[in-house]
Amino acid sequence: MPFVELFKANIRTLLRNRQALFWSMAFPLIFVFVFGLFFGGDAQRATLLVVDRADDALSHQLVAQLEALDSFTVQPSTDEAAARQAVRDGDASYLLVLPMGMASTTGAGGTASALLVYDQGNASAPVVIGAVGRMLDAFNLEASGAPRLLALEPEGVQGQELTYFDFLLPGFVSMGIMTYSIIGIASVIALYREQKVLKRLLASPLRVRHFFASIVVAHLLLSMVQAVVIAGVGMALFGAMVRGNLGMLFLVVVLGNTVFLSIGFIIGALSRTVQAASGLGNAVAMPMMFLSGTFFPRDSLPAVLKAVVDLLPLSAMVDLLRGMALDARPLWDFPGALALLLAWAVGTALVAVRVFRFS
Amino acid sequence: MPSVISVDRLIKRYNHLTAVDGVSFTVERGEVFGILGPNGAGKTTTLECIEGLQPPTSGVITVLGMDVARDPRGVKARIGVQLQASSYFDYLTLTEILELFGAFYPQRAKPLDLLARMGLESKAGARVNQLSGGQKQRFSVAATLVSDPEIVFLDEPTTGLDPQARRNLWEVVQGIHAEGRTVVLTTHYMEEAQLLCDRVAIMDQGKLIALDTPTRLAEALPAPYTVRAATPTPLDPDSLLGLDAVLDAETANGTLTLQSSDATRTVPALIALAGAGLGQLEVQMATLEDVFLAMTGRNLRD
Repeated sequence: MPFVELFKANIRTLLRNRQALFWSMAFPLIFVFVFGLFFGGDAQRATLLVVDRADDALSHQLVAQLEALDSFTVQPSTDEAAARQAVRDGDASYLLVLPMGMASTTGAGGTASALLVYDQGNASAPVVIGAVGRMLDAFNLEASGAPRLLALEPEGVQGQELTYFDFLLPGFVSMGIMTYSIIGIASVIALYREQKVLKRLLASPLRVRHFFASIVVAHLLLSMVQAVVIAGVGMALFGAMVRGNLGMLFLVVVLGNTVFLSIGFIIGALSRTVQAASGLGNAVAMPMMFLSGTFFPRDSLPAVLKAVVDLLPLSAMVDLLRGMALDARPLWDFPGALALLLAWAVGTALVAVRVFRFS
Repeated sequence: MPSVISVDRLIKRYNHLTAVDGVSFTVERGEVFGILGPNGAGKTTTLECIEGLQPPTSGVITVLGMDVARDPRGVKARIGVQLQASSYFDYLTLTEILELFGAFYPQRAKPLDLLARMGLESKAGARVNQLSGGQKQRFSVAATLVSDPEIVFLDEPTTGLDPQARRNLWEVVQGIHAEGRTVVLTTHYMEEAQLLCDRVAIMDQGKLIALDTPTRLAEALPAPYTVRAATPTPLDPDSLLGLDAVLDAETANGTLTLQSSDATRTVPALIALAGAGLGQLEVQMATLEDVFLAMTGRNLRD
């Protein structure tokens, strides 16, 4: 069976090429370690400084309710200038200033404005502003004695706070698999051409599709090991959380990797030398790695660029893995990303089969 | 004898370059057939068209009764191909490579038997990059035999080898021939073609310029023999030129060199002329090198 022997040969080659194997793990793990050290560990509770100028019954009630919230640690302060500086320096996340005479103002039917100070670079600020705002709304309703027409009953589905590192980890898994597959396959195909290994295969009755399939299957197996190692290190050493169905996560890993393997074959087929293949591979993989939301949410990109970047295969893979791993949601909750990844898998495979030749 | 290969008016063009320009020949079962010529003569291209590695621009090639253009895989399953300077998988051992290639064919030889035949049994667990140049070439010949082929193609099998390794490989080729397989090889070494080949096709600039046994090719020259001898006293050049069958004569440093159309007539005449003083008499038949020079006016290895 040519396929079985070729598969064995590919697995042996993958395992014996120690240097490539090392980097297939080490490259994404470097990111895991660096970001894990900065952002890993348990979610840190934000500090909310409260300068209570009112110091009346209403303000005391409000502070007590804030203290009851899980999201942050409330810390009273008397010096507003010092508190502002603390937010600016990053020592505290938020500062809430309650105005003088809150109880009397609201008692007379007026509006008392509370001031929330936060660092504009703080990614979780919108969440906290929303939480505080909602709390104030509830407070208003209760104080006004108006009947509650609608009620929202939030049901927490996460046992633990998410950290930035939890957000990053699915990106690192995708990125590691992508770079190893695209650059690895492109270089090995170019090397086989340079060394005339492909020509030697052409001189035998071997069918191209057997060769093709054996490389793909061997690399898919390795990509699953890669995913386990990268995610495992992130979870074991830096307390990252991966939720969701493991089978479905692996399915996305496999599906994403078929795209990158096909891209690797295409680049390998179009490159005359190993250097050209590795250069072109990098030129394809690197922008994708940075643009597709491995490190940052793509929402911060300019709208036009985002529209394009959203269509990249790595974007779809990261979105699927992240959505499933962070919120424990099933695969079919993301039909758009799934369809996009499937389309890439089929499209790139068709092109790869068309352009790849032994000669 | 039935032909195992027939090449009919083969033409292969790359853009503006015509690599093979209307070549026709047949190869008979069991013979060692050499394609000889300088670099760029079109030897490798001709071979690769026969092997189904390149599609001809025009012409028909039949191998073992199969049309190569129609059934390349059928042809490939029954031939063994050694490419010029090709390598094998870097991370596999010799045994593993032979097992892998064997799996591509319906019939296969045992890897260890093949390695033993090539004197490589001690290298069974080694990788190709751990072999010497001669061992690499012997291994690539072993790889051509993995499918127990009826025809073996060797493209410049001894290029770049030292004399000892070259002689080793000649024995390997003779062994393959002795098993009844047909061998087609290209070379630009005359002595190799002369020693190994039953018939030689000489190619130059994409054209077949001669095809016959090495001996008959040499005999077809106007002066196929060179007669050399040392003379204590210089002989008169005009009397040398007058000797039977001599076409050209030269003397230098006490040695005379005669170009003769028939050595059996020239040698007695020379002995009669020079008498007892003649020493170091030597008769040399023309080489394929001389044939090439005579036909093209150029040396083969320029």
